[in-house]
Amino acid sequence: MKLVKIAAAMAFLAGGTLALAAEKTIGQKGKLFSEKEVSIKKGDTLVFVNDDNIAHNVMSSTAGNTFNLGSQAPGKSTPVTFDKPGDIQVICAIHPSMKMLVKVAN
Amino acid sequence: MSHQNDSCHTRVWLYGGLCGAFVSAGALALTFVVSSGQAAIVGETRTVEIKKAADPTVDQMKAAYMRPAMIPFPKDNPYTAEKADLGKKLYFDTRLSAANAQSCASCHNPGFGWGDGLAKGVGHGMKMLGRRSPTIVNAAYGQIFMWDGRAGSLEEQAVGPIKAEVEMNLPLAELMGRLKSIPEYVALFKAAFPKDGITEDNLARAIATYERTVVSGIAPFDAWIEGNDTAIPEPAKRGFAVFNTKAACAACHSGWNFTDDSFHDIGLDTDDVGRVKIVPGVLKMEKAFKTPGLREIARRGPYMHNGSLQTLEEVVEHYDRGGVDRPSRSEAIKPLGLTAQEKSDLVAFMTALTSQSDPVPVPVLPR
Repeated sequence: MKLVKIAAAMAFLAGGTLALAAEKTIGQKGKLFSEKEVSIKKGDTLVFVNDDNIAHNVMSSTAGNTFNLGSQAPGKSTPVTFDKPGDIQVICAIHPSMKMLVKVAN
Repeated sequence: MSHQNDSCHTRVWLYGGLCGAFVSAGALALTFVVSSGQAAIVGETRTVEIKKAADPTVDQMKAAYMRPAMIPFPKDNPYTAEKADLGKKLYFDTRLSAANAQSCASCHNPGFGWGDGLAKGVGHGMKMLGRRSPTIVNAAYGQIFMWDGRAGSLEEQAVGPIKAEVEMNLPLAELMGRLKSIPEYVALFKAAFPKDGITEDNLARAIATYERTVVSGIAPFDAWIEGNDTAIPEPAKRGFAVFNTKAACAACHSGWNFTDDSFHDIGLDTDDVGRVKIVPGVLKMEKAFKTPGLREIARRGPYMHNGSLQTLEEVVEHYDRGGVDRPSRSEAIKPLGLTAQEKSDLVAFMTALTSQSDPVPVPVLPR
């Protein structure tokens, strides 16, 4: 698995087809995710920004879309792209009351 | 990139086929997702500009510690007097243990701030347990229970120690038989749960309901929060400020019950793996334990999950040193550089969180 950013010209040469992928920012201020539930499409990206004043550890154990950002300090931003459809429970491992549901559609 | 400007907008990434157009970073970026697997794809972490909030005033800090007006009871186990009364009898009844020698109150004793005053609890066969017995004070306000958070509700917590072999060692099926053989319990369960009487779930509901009624009393700190400026001494007021600013204790000991119900490795020298046993593979959960509340703290020593610190002064010294520096240690734990006065002020503040509790009558038990 890897995410490779390339220039448009190279993509064109590779014969890729046009597709749109959305990106949405999720904040964590006050030990809360800025959204309790978000619906996205396969291939979309959520950018987890720690806009709180303490470290968080955003992760998911949902099969097919597992990830663990580890300790994310205030002022850090990390994108996570979901390419498997399904309902994904995202939590902060440090603060279990921080929960959000990511619904990934095909 | 300011999060404040970004959080409400959806940006678009274009994938391939853009007729050779070259689009640079910003609102539009080009991204090509190459692979798929069993995990989400984590990109590169960047630093972003976060607007720093202004330092709170003392009044703003105080507002975060107002006592709630009501005890919260869950919708699926609402309060009734019959349940609470039954739960209290069960809580104090030693027949809930295999040896008929331990009750919930043995380890969570009102005389010791609803703990046991020991470094580590004592279980079945008088064997020492691995961790200190946590208080049940203000359990009604908890989100997750046990030092490692293995119980998701107070109902689940309430029966865990009864059936744990190392604690009270009594299978719940056997306990049901015992309770059904005691006529007064049959009647009390019927009154509290008219539909099905004595069941394992109802046992849990009754004990949890009683536990939720155990709320810390009004402390001098509460009177100060309510506006009585002379309710706590000046060192305690200074300690409150240090608690919320330089020492940043409130990053975890937050809200009126002084806990975030969350898990942190605070750098104690311990072999106990803590929360990571429940959430394997998460580095920050190694040696991490739930933040205990601080209400009635002066009568709840010794302190920490293993009772390794005897006094509040030792606790403050530990935090000032920052504990063992290791990858799992919380970023919130680091040397603080507190002065001697700041340390004593913190202890004065925590002492002001202790109420003048009334004695708790022990119930007459069913026969």
